Amino acid sequence: MSELERLQAEFQRSILGQNSAVLEHVMDGPREQRDVLFGVYKNGYASRLTEVLRKDHEYLHAYLGDEMFDQMSKLYIAEHPSQQPNLRWFSRELPDLLRTAPPFAEYPEIADLAALERDLNDCFDAPDAPVLAAADFAGIAAERWTDLRFVPHPSARRLDLLTNAADIWLALKSDEAPPDAVRLGSACRLLIWRQDVTPRFRELTDEEAMMWDEAARGLPFGVLCSMLAMHDDPDGAAGRAAGYLQQWVTTDLLAGLS
Amino acid sequence: MTISPQRIDPALGRDPRTSRHGQKPDFLGFGLGLRAQHYADILDGDPPVDWFEIISENYMIPGGQPLRILDRIRERFPVVMHGVSLSIASTSPPDFGYLQMLKDLAQRVEPRWVSDHLCWTGVHGQNLHDLLPIPYTHEALDYVVNRVQLVQDYLGRALVLENASTYVQFRHQDMTEWEFLTELTRRSGCFLLLDINNVYVSAFNHGFDPHEFLEGIPTDRVVQFHMAGHSHMGTHIIDTHDHLVCDDVFDLYRAALKRFGAVSTMVERDDNIPPLDELLAEVQRTREIAAEILSADDRDRAS
Repeated sequence: MSELERLQAEFQRSILGQNSAVLEHVMDGPREQRDVLFGVYKNGYASRLTEVLRKDHEYLHAYLGDEMFDQMSKLYIAEHPSQQPNLRWFSRELPDLLRTAPPFAEYPEIADLAALERDLNDCFDAPDAPVLAAADFAGIAAERWTDLRFVPHPSARRLDLLTNAADIWLALKSDEAPPDAVRLGSACRLLIWRQDVTPRFRELTDEEAMMWDEAARGLPFGVLCSMLAMHDDPDGAAGRAAGYLQQWVTTDLLAGLS
Repeated sequence: MTISPQRIDPALGRDPRTSRHGQKPDFLGFGLGLRAQHYADILDGDPPVDWFEIISENYMIPGGQPLRILDRIRERFPVVMHGVSLSIASTSPPDFGYLQMLKDLAQRVEPRWVSDHLCWTGVHGQNLHDLLPIPYTHEALDYVVNRVQLVQDYLGRALVLENASTYVQFRHQDMTEWEFLTELTRRSGCFLLLDINNVYVSAFNHGFDPHEFLEGIPTDRVVQFHMAGHSHMGTHIIDTHDHLVCDDVFDLYRAALKRFGAVSTMVERDDNIPPLDELLAEVQRTREIAAEILSADDRDRAS
């Protein structure tokens, strides 16, 4: 191991608070002690990453307040040190930690809020793709419809929440008092995507969520209609499927047909 | 043009204004760091800025609004790329995934140059997201020269490296920071970005004369100046890049202009981002100071 390697390893360990051995290798400044000067690096590390978490999770921060958010940040920074050169991806594991780590795991709306914000962040800079327009369906012969498969826009993603975190998030975003957190009897099924440049989400019915999930897996329109017929009134299944499809197209959720 | 023999750098065997990956970029004028808070004002207006510098990592993303806006801005303004995560001095193996993303972005943006910092950001797979200092030793110099050459070969272009603000100095050092930078640029062929504020900050923190730093840097290797603000703690200065540029740093800028001549200059604000007009006023000040200093130099040369 070279001197430079040894020095960098010690410098890093000292920033992470594992020891302060690097102070033997650095000098006092002309006006300040070395431990204070080294503290600029040490303090900067935690504050920089906490700032990233605050930026990525604005409304989770509003929900938790400074003290609890900082407690959460400290835990996350310790458990998930950054391994990416780009800070953009630093916070991605936060919802996973919040589902299991006490005391946060006792309040499932916290992990749900984090998951919703992560997905909104992810669709903000998800890959671009052309979107289907109603005109793209105009020339399709009737007999081809049963075999049509739909390609979701790359920004689109589904998220099932076990709490009313979506309502909490919307209240916080509107600068209103959030409702009390509640665990839901059945999951809140969200579809999250980017329309033009703006991330959006909306809640789906169980039926639309099922059709979206299966369409995204590549099942053809004819099979999707059959599934809807089994789910609810069979006579109206084709019409309902067409209605869902129309809404997907008008809100830029589809990127292609195959 | 005839190149006189004494201008051939023995280490490179070529005109020192060029590196293995290209000639010194042309003077771009007076620029500003592109920040998301100003997108609308820039796109809807006609800001008096000659060029923009982007933070490379902010655009090393799959898609969406930032890249679309960048495409529109580069239709109207020259753009340079400035990274914070190259970690050129890290003793960990190079991150080729990062380098490929940087190369891909450069292909899209076609920047006038690509810069980052003379620093390391982490080892052992971890990233501390800070511009960490290196010891100015022969060992570190040899290591960084090799790493710069490797990265330049991968990117297919010369790098531009910036002096970082530092808060500690190592006990064992073989040379000064400016001697290290000089050797690095001569041996690797990279160019230099002098952050005038960082020179000021490090000089205060370590007790050296910032003018001695400037005098020690070769005039033919500097392609860009950064101008920024800092936070003075009394016993030391922290490079926060979140304040107006102070008068002392503008004074040092005057000295830099006298030594280096016309160098592309930009105002870099990283935090506490004010309205665009406030930063444009700082850009205008750099422009006016440069006009004053450079025209005086012309007069001196003519007389």
